[in-house]
Amino acid sequence: VVTKWHNAFSEEVKRYAKPESVTEQQVFSEVYHSLIHSPALDTLLNLEHTYALTIEDLIQQRDKDLEYLDDRQREEMEDAMKNAGTKYTDAQVNQLAQRHIDNSQLISGKWSSELSNLRDTQKREFREWVLKVHEDTQSPSKSTSYLNRVRALSSSLPEAEENERGPNTIRMEESFTIHLGAQMKTTHNLRLLCTDILDLCRHKTHTVGGMVIPQPQRLQTAMSLYSNDLCALIMMVDNRLNSYTGLKRDFSKVCEQSTDFHFPDLEQQFAIIEQELALANEHRQQHKHSEDADKVSLKSSSSTSSEEKNKNLRSGDFYLTKHSNLSEVHVVFHLVADDSIKQSDISSRHPVILSIRNIIKLCFRYDINTITIPLLLFNEMTEEMTIPWCQKRVELMFKCVKGFMMEMAAYGGYKSRTIQFLVPPGISEDVFSGISSMLTNIFRLSNPLVVKSS
Amino acid sequence: MSELGEADFGLTTFFARSHPNDKCGANGLPLTPNSIKILGRFEHLKTISHENLCKYIDIQRGKHERLLVVTEHYQQTLKNVAKSGKYSVEENLVTLAYEIVKGLAYLNKRGITHRNLSQENILFNKKGKVKLSEYGLYYMTEYGANVAFPIGHPQYLSPEVLCEYPVQYDEHSESEPSVLTPTGPKSDVWSLGLILLEVLTGEEFWGDLTMPQTFFKILSFVNSDIHPLDAISKDLDIESQVKTLSRDFMDFLRKCLSASPMDRANPTELMDHSLFRDLRQKNSKTKNGHRLFSSDLRSLDLELPVLGQNGYNKDYNEDHLSLRTMEEVYYLWQLAGGELFGALKREGLVKTKPPIHLLPYYSTLDGEVFGQRRDQAELLDGTIITLSQEQLRKRLSEIDETAYYPLLEDENSQVTTNLPSSPSNSDISETASLPLVIREKDVEYQFHRIILYERLIKGYPYKKSHIWREARVDIPPHVRAHVWAAILEVEGDIYARYDSIDKETPTNTDRQIEVDIPRCHQYHELLSSPSAHAKFKRVLKAWVVSHPQYVYWQGLDSLSAPFLALNFNNEALAYSCLSAFIPKYLHNFFLKDNSQVIQEYLAVFSHLITFHDPELSNHLEGIGFIPDLYAIPWFLTMFAHAFPIHKLVHLWDTLLLGNSSFPLCIGVAILRQFRDRLLTYGFNECILMFSDMPEIDIQRCVQDSIKIFCSTPKSATFRQHAREPNKPGTSSSRPNISYYSRDYNEQPKSELSMEPVKVEELKTEKCCRISAEDLIEMGELCGPSSSKSPTKRKPNSRPMIIVIDIRNPEDYAKGAIPGSINIPFPSAFSPEGDLNPCAAVNVLNQNKQQVKVIVGSRGKNANNFAADLVRLGYHKVCVLHKGIDVLRSTNILTVPPADYF
Repeated sequence: VVTKWHNAFSEEVKRYAKPESVTEQQVFSEVYHSLIHSPALDTLLNLEHTYALTIEDLIQQRDKDLEYLDDRQREEMEDAMKNAGTKYTDAQVNQLAQRHIDNSQLISGKWSSELSNLRDTQKREFREWVLKVHEDTQSPSKSTSYLNRVRALSSSLPEAEENERGPNTIRMEESFTIHLGAQMKTTHNLRLLCTDILDLCRHKTHTVGGMVIPQPQRLQTAMSLYSNDLCALIMMVDNRLNSYTGLKRDFSKVCEQSTDFHFPDLEQQFAIIEQELALANEHRQQHKHSEDADKVSLKSSSSTSSEEKNKNLRSGDFYLTKHSNLSEVHVVFHLVADDSIKQSDISSRHPVILSIRNIIKLCFRYDINTITIPLLLFNEMTEEMTIPWCQKRVELMFKCVKGFMMEMAAYGGYKSRTIQFLVPPGISEDVFSGISSMLTNIFRLSNPLVVKSS
Repeated sequence: MSELGEADFGLTTFFARSHPNDKCGANGLPLTPNSIKILGRFEHLKTISHENLCKYIDIQRGKHERLLVVTEHYQQTLKNVAKSGKYSVEENLVTLAYEIVKGLAYLNKRGITHRNLSQENILFNKKGKVKLSEYGLYYMTEYGANVAFPIGHPQYLSPEVLCEYPVQYDEHSESEPSVLTPTGPKSDVWSLGLILLEVLTGEEFWGDLTMPQTFFKILSFVNSDIHPLDAISKDLDIESQVKTLSRDFMDFLRKCLSASPMDRANPTELMDHSLFRDLRQKNSKTKNGHRLFSSDLRSLDLELPVLGQNGYNKDYNEDHLSLRTMEEVYYLWQLAGGELFGALKREGLVKTKPPIHLLPYYSTLDGEVFGQRRDQAELLDGTIITLSQEQLRKRLSEIDETAYYPLLEDENSQVTTNLPSSPSNSDISETASLPLVIREKDVEYQFHRIILYERLIKGYPYKKSHIWREARVDIPPHVRAHVWAAILEVEGDIYARYDSIDKETPTNTDRQIEVDIPRCHQYHELLSSPSAHAKFKRVLKAWVVSHPQYVYWQGLDSLSAPFLALNFNNEALAYSCLSAFIPKYLHNFFLKDNSQVIQEYLAVFSHLITFHDPELSNHLEGIGFIPDLYAIPWFLTMFAHAFPIHKLVHLWDTLLLGNSSFPLCIGVAILRQFRDRLLTYGFNECILMFSDMPEIDIQRCVQDSIKIFCSTPKSATFRQHAREPNKPGTSSSRPNISYYSRDYNEQPKSELSMEPVKVEELKTEKCCRISAEDLIEMGELCGPSSSKSPTKRKPNSRPMIIVIDIRNPEDYAKGAIPGSINIPFPSAFSPEGDLNPCAAVNVLNQNKQQVKVIVGSRGKNANNFAADLVRLGYHKVCVLHKGIDVLRSTNILTVPPADYF
């Protein structure tokens, strides 16, 4: 009894609880947040931007190098193959192949270590700089030096590269304002947009007057990073926790384009997730056991091969990564789906749909006010997505999302939120307008403001 | 209602325990968040008012189950005072003990255990009187079940409390934790005993022990034979000090500090302890305040103090604000820009981590999340923040003293100004012309209005007509509950009446009521709490039981919601308002077979639509979108189902002043706001639109409906099922404000009045009928000289109506209404359905704005003609009830001038 009381007091009452050690992460986030809302904002962004460009540069070099290596090896190999049997023996060819693989591994290993070195340095430098500047701002006597420091950095904008990068292509998009709720209405914004999912992540630059300047979205994202107004994205993934294939690979490329100054690398985040995943599966097992115990008389021999599934993600699960270096997103929900979502007649109880509910709930809980949902639950268009298939899917998604929103809004405060529905590029304009008219039918638009000429 | 006095507002904050995801209650609905439960229980604490207790004033919900509580607060705590060594003197100690016990005994009587008593929350006001605070935490959290933290201070917990486990919460268990045996008031007595002993010695007991050691110590008393008092004094080496105490006091302490609650006294018993003999005598009976509604004589023992006599001027207070009630000052404080979260933030108490750091890493399908850390900021922090009243005082500093005490002039003399004009602020009357939303946010305006109303309400029911008049301007939210009751003419001893109703015995409507309540205005934080549900049930059952001629129809719940929300702590008043409201506006709507009543109501409603907006009416009829499809919930709940409460109150502010036909006009006003859209919509879109009522501009709706009401002939809204005139006395006590408040049914009848028409017949007709009386009055035909109601009309204006006589020219020539035009029905319309042009038609077209009264003889011609006019888009068309014949007896028919032809 005594220990229980003791625990109750020390865990829940501040006066008796151990003072929480202030983590480095926390300090940094506070400092960063205050700086980004100060005159140093401009410099800070430019600094980030410069760092990003350096990394990009390095990556380009790496790609070129690897490409070159590839070419040379291919030539050598072709040459060897032609003369196989005459000039070279089979063994020699094999040897060559082996050497090539070793070589390319060596080189890419060298590059990646260089990259990660650079990243680490950048990260360290950046953190040091931020903390330093913050200290300077705190002590008024040093304010001149702080200004100098800021100024010194702001002049170091890089010159534009020769290949001018124009502003990005225009997205197909449409925005709506809706009201939800029977008596008490809440206002939300919906946006329907047709673009590549990675467009929301890619940190694009364009040049103005010979200078490479960061996109305005960058500023927005940086300023709201530690605020109560986050942006998130749902990305559909398969059940393997890695980034080797398809969209996942593209996404990880985008992520490594620049250094993430606030969060660990994608790989490291995956490692953390893996740990959590083990816990999750354990919990699942337990849950199952207790359930099984209830029905033990019914099914005695249902010992599935659950052990080997221990490492696996299941459809409807999602994992979450945090980023500070993407263009319009802070948080990415990786939603695990299997092939069953290809079917046209998935129900509202499908794991993926339920998972979207969980995600929306999490968004309400953690102040994620903007969320992008792939409307078709696919990242790109495929052959099977016929027009009726699309319509059916879109209708289901709209209705479910509406339902979830109303459910969450019931108790979750009356803040207005933005939901972006993403359709993959390559959708025909007819289908797009069809979707948008369906949206107006399913959601109730707010009162149109009628301007009368009289 | 206690005055502010010298009190500050204190603000504390804590977090309710949040539910794990997706758990459902026994009824299959999602669990009510704990913060909502607390919110509901808190309301009861507001009613607690005692001289030795700090008042609870307000609670607010923040994000993530955070709760903010505002209480009366004082800076001086026992902890500070005890340091001075004041309480080593026994006499002071006895006074202290007596005042604390008084507070505890009162709490005890109200069924509340403090459980949280400590040196820090025993406060003193400026006069040195004890004020206990934080006594409601244990009660409002359902004895700790709704929060994660334990309630109480470790060193003051009594042995029996420690013997039980703290509230344990298992995340995966199916049932919600609940405390079966809440701690009784005797544990407070234990704490009291310890605290008294502490301040006597000036030491803090067990300060150097760790928490588990303390607990072991306390628990050791249970099995020990030595009385805890002796054990403690021996243990802490304070025997010498304890021995100096009087025998009475020793006995008192012994009663407080006995280990077994069986031997311990409860606070009420302690009140009678011989220790307090002297103090009890000194403590004369306090004056108890009067309740607004009672049958007692309020002024029975009122003695008006005579100026200058026995120090009447002595306690004249410079600080007028401090004489207002706390609730009022708090309300004004909020209007003056006071904001709880801002205050919290300034004090650095809402240091939460940025949400991005709190996000979990992984989530499974069933919503179980992993990798999430608990936010340390959600732990309990007992700090109390004092809210600064400076801003409010600054805002009100300009106001003249006299404004605090407005004189209520004689009813007759007050004609023009109903706002006290303050010399410093001449724009008060200007504010009155601003939109309501702005007026409700204006501190000074609200200040004046509240004071005025408060005085008027004190004079109720004598000042009823004055209240009525003021209510036409606006009703401040702060006093709305009582003003509504006054307008609804709630009188008498409502408490006794309500108490006498059996609200517990199960009836066969219980099931339906229980299903409906969790769906009724649940976005409203207060109404969604379990305590609100219980109140709902009692009020509804009370109504059903005491009105055996009626049944429970769905909608009654919505109807009671606004009253309950306003009178949350006063069920009796909520019930009385409800039972006054229903006969006034929904007479017989709750009959078991109410189809006749509703059908008639809807028929009249569609007549009204036609009268005011023929185009819309034609369109809706064309697509078959009849009022039955959308308007029944409107009228059955008097729009309480259609609008959120914060909008509804504005609507009802006006509705309550109108007569029973006024709701019809509101209906038309609502349609008018959607007019443009409705005209383009087909049937399905219309149904969709009204199935989920779109957002509406309520202020405009109110104004439109007043306009519509004023431009509708009274007899047009005649309904045979409206309430019969019952008490002839009542209407005379109410001011006769023109057209506005009288019910048509309550006026004397003559052969010229309306009489019942069968519902079936009404439904076949397109246009409304008006009575001959109205015709005479509106047409200014000098008929019976006694016009029944003084219609406001500008002089020199043309008559409001144009009379169209559709009989044969021969009949017309024999005698017709003066000024009427003759368009004989058989020749009026061309085969295409247009009006055949003639001189009379030109006159008609020139007077499109007037009310058109179609006069025929017997038969359907008049109605058909009217329907055709409507089809052509003429508005304000109506038909004279019973035709020309009804006027024969009045001698107003004349032979039209011959040159007319």
